[in-house]
Amino acid sequence: MTVAAEFQQVTQRFGDFTAVDAIDLTIPAGQLTTLLGPSGCGKTTSLRMLAGYSTPTSGRILIDGVDSTRTPPERRGLGMVFQSYALFPHLTVAENVGYGLKLRKMPAAERKRVVAETLDLVGLGHLAASRPRKLSGGQQQRVALARAIAIRPKLLLLDEPLSNLDARLRVHMRAELRRIQAETGLTVVLVTHDQDEALELSDQMVVMREGRILQQGAPVDVFPAPANRLVAEFLGYENFVTSADGTLRTVRPEHLNVVSEPTTAGLTLEGVVVDVAFRGVDRLVTVDADDGLGRTVRLTADVRDGAVTARPGDRILLSADQAHVVTLAG
Amino acid sequence: MSTRRPVAATLAVAGYVIMIVPILFVVATSFTGGSTLRFPPEGLSLRWFDAAVHHTPFITAMVSSLQLAALATVLALLLGIPATLAIHRGRLPGKGLVEGLFLSPLIVPELVVGLALFQQLMIGLRLDNFTVLLIGHTVLMLPYAVRVTGASLALADPFVEEAARGLGASPLRAFFTVTLPLLRPGIFSAALLSFVTSFNNVPLSLLLQSRDFRTLPVTMLDYVQQSYDPMVAATSTIILAGTVLVAVVAERTVGFARIFGGINR
Amino acid sequence: MISRRTGLLVLPGLALLLAGFLVPSAAMLLAPPGVSPADILARLGQMLTDPYDLAIIWRTVRLGLIVTLICLVLGFPIAYLLARSTSRWSGVLLALAIFPLLLSNVVRTFGWLVVLGSNGAIGQLLLALGLVDQAPQLLYTELAIVLGLTQLFLPLAIISCYSAVAQVDPGLDDAARGLGASRTRTFWGIVAPLSAPGIVVAATLVFAGSATAYTTPYLLGGSSQRMLSTQLFSYSSVSIDWAAASATALIMTVLVFVVSGLSSLAARRGRTS
Repeated sequence: MTVAAEFQQVTQRFGDFTAVDAIDLTIPAGQLTTLLGPSGCGKTTSLRMLAGYSTPTSGRILIDGVDSTRTPPERRGLGMVFQSYALFPHLTVAENVGYGLKLRKMPAAERKRVVAETLDLVGLGHLAASRPRKLSGGQQQRVALARAIAIRPKLLLLDEPLSNLDARLRVHMRAELRRIQAETGLTVVLVTHDQDEALELSDQMVVMREGRILQQGAPVDVFPAPANRLVAEFLGYENFVTSADGTLRTVRPEHLNVVSEPTTAGLTLEGVVVDVAFRGVDRLVTVDADDGLGRTVRLTADVRDGAVTARPGDRILLSADQAHVVTLAG
Repeated sequence: MSTRRPVAATLAVAGYVIMIVPILFVVATSFTGGSTLRFPPEGLSLRWFDAAVHHTPFITAMVSSLQLAALATVLALLLGIPATLAIHRGRLPGKGLVEGLFLSPLIVPELVVGLALFQQLMIGLRLDNFTVLLIGHTVLMLPYAVRVTGASLALADPFVEEAARGLGASPLRAFFTVTLPLLRPGIFSAALLSFVTSFNNVPLSLLLQSRDFRTLPVTMLDYVQQSYDPMVAATSTIILAGTVLVAVVAERTVGFARIFGGINR
Repeated sequence: MISRRTGLLVLPGLALLLAGFLVPSAAMLLAPPGVSPADILARLGQMLTDPYDLAIIWRTVRLGLIVTLICLVLGFPIAYLLARSTSRWSGVLLALAIFPLLLSNVVRTFGWLVVLGSNGAIGQLLLALGLVDQAPQLLYTELAIVLGLTQLFLPLAIISCYSAVAQVDPGLDDAARGLGASRTRTFWGIVAPLSAPGIVVAATLVFAGSATAYTTPYLLGGSSQRMLSTQLFSYSSVSIDWAAASATALIMTVLVFVVSGLSSLAARRGRTS
């Protein structure tokens, strides 16, 4: 594996607040790494330090094996897409995309060709002469992407690139991002708070919280085995159950089933139905479990599943297969 | 205008009458054929316009006022724009205090500033009155430069500069290729406001006059005090025409209402 | 990008402010040539007890307050109607209200000479109607000064009130009306309190401007209706009495500072309550 960039014990403090706390992180070349976490977890601060917009309080950042901790952004050769897109409103789409090439003193004819190619790559060739203001949010996002890609960056950095788009466009752009990354072979670092986005896009996902890295790895490895309760909650796990011996276990709502008699393997719970909500593809059933802790568990059941006829007030028995029960470290 | 609000509408009409009607009377009187300020005017003629454009003191003062306003505006922008950048983008101790200092010429009565400059710089340091006028007008225009360009700086997406840096632009290059073009409407507004304010100024300039360099509004005031003929009305109409022209240019470029901060339609 | 060097760009402007404004102003107020601070204080004491000087101070404050009140009473309705109107004429009317700000005060004030002078429009109209035998002397009265100052500062009041009213969501009007409030009640209960900060700003600007204006009292008040500004001018250019000039300048400056201070206090209290 070739390493494109590396964080070594990087810390960023703003006054008394520690935004990033001594993180170590490796960004593999040619892959898509996502930094995932709630707002304030340090993911954007990490990205800005990588881009050179802020200097770490301590630690080192290597890009292509070279210590770049204090290199100003204009000498890092990275492409950044901002959450607000930060398009230059006084320049046309083509001039925006050509801005970095012009600074690199690329001859006009070649520049024109690269701009056209890059705009075609993001599907905006027909809008080259427009001003950013006239474009839709999705189009502006593509211009920002094209502008960052055009300079053939060592790394493409994306700060919540899809968060300003509507839900449908967001899903479409995920596929677009995957395609563009595959076509260009770029190393991409993407910051997001959306776990679905991270799961779908990442080769490597890095879950952060309060300035620290909680877990990292490929989505297929991280998702079924969250390292702790914080990661599990962030990935959408509910129904946390502490056993008599103190171990914490969790099971996702879709993996709890209504059963008629207890099973020995796996997890079994009994309780009173509080609420049943119809959600189209499934029903969400909220159950007050009887372990004396007043715990509420939730399960989903396929609407076609006739077995779930429970109504509020009914007592039901729930169970999950051992394979779906995740034991957490703490 | 809503006719369902009779009280408000009546007050509004009264307000417009007080603001506008006296100006219309000036214009009407300037075309009089008679030799006194009298209404209704006696006959129609352009004689007072002819007199005004041949009245050397007015012409000289008009040129002086235009020169002063242009120089003071340029100077205020040259000092004010960097200061605005320092206040909004720089690492500056006591930012609020510094900004307050740049806006402070707006609070002290202009006549008081004029007296201070007259007494301390013109009499005390024996500076010539043009230099002192230029200093005074520049000081008075600085708040406009800082406030108006500051407002457009605050509106601009702060990440565009970072984007330019990321694409390879040095800080200076990012400023000239991205920040400055974005500030252009603000700078234009500030320039226009400064120029007009300087050209029209009386209280600050009042004490800072000399035989060699006099400004137009003060010269007109002196003239009105001495004689009561309609030449000042004609001069006023000429100034009104010039001001309308400036207003039209302002409307066509940045939008008239936007120049006076806070009004975004 | 934040950089240490960018902060240095403030220095040239700061230097001009110091040399061309702050130092001369302080020197003039505290130590004019050949005058000790004690002389200024003595002169100040005299002014604050002498009936003639007190009358001038009182006229300045009184006319300032009257003009402020009139500008708010006329300016707020204009701002309100313009901000809430959907008519295409509202743009033109707004421009017409702002335009006078660009026009020379001398030109604007000169208009009142034509309107109020003994051969002016009002006098001649009254004569023609046979209401009077002789055109009344309207110039060189406090009325003339109040009219002149109102004309000068009304645009300022309109702009401040307009920005304030425009920020009040028209949806709130609709909500109040929907809950059963009358038009008048909506205005006094919703729009007026929410735009109060803008009204305070308008009042401050108009008072500070009208209490220190020179052109208007000079042209329309003449020598009989003196104000602090016209006094200041004659002390510093006719009689060259530096102590009296500094004392007058001090009174004017303090007057404006006190009013601005009170208004920012009111604004702060309004924000916390």
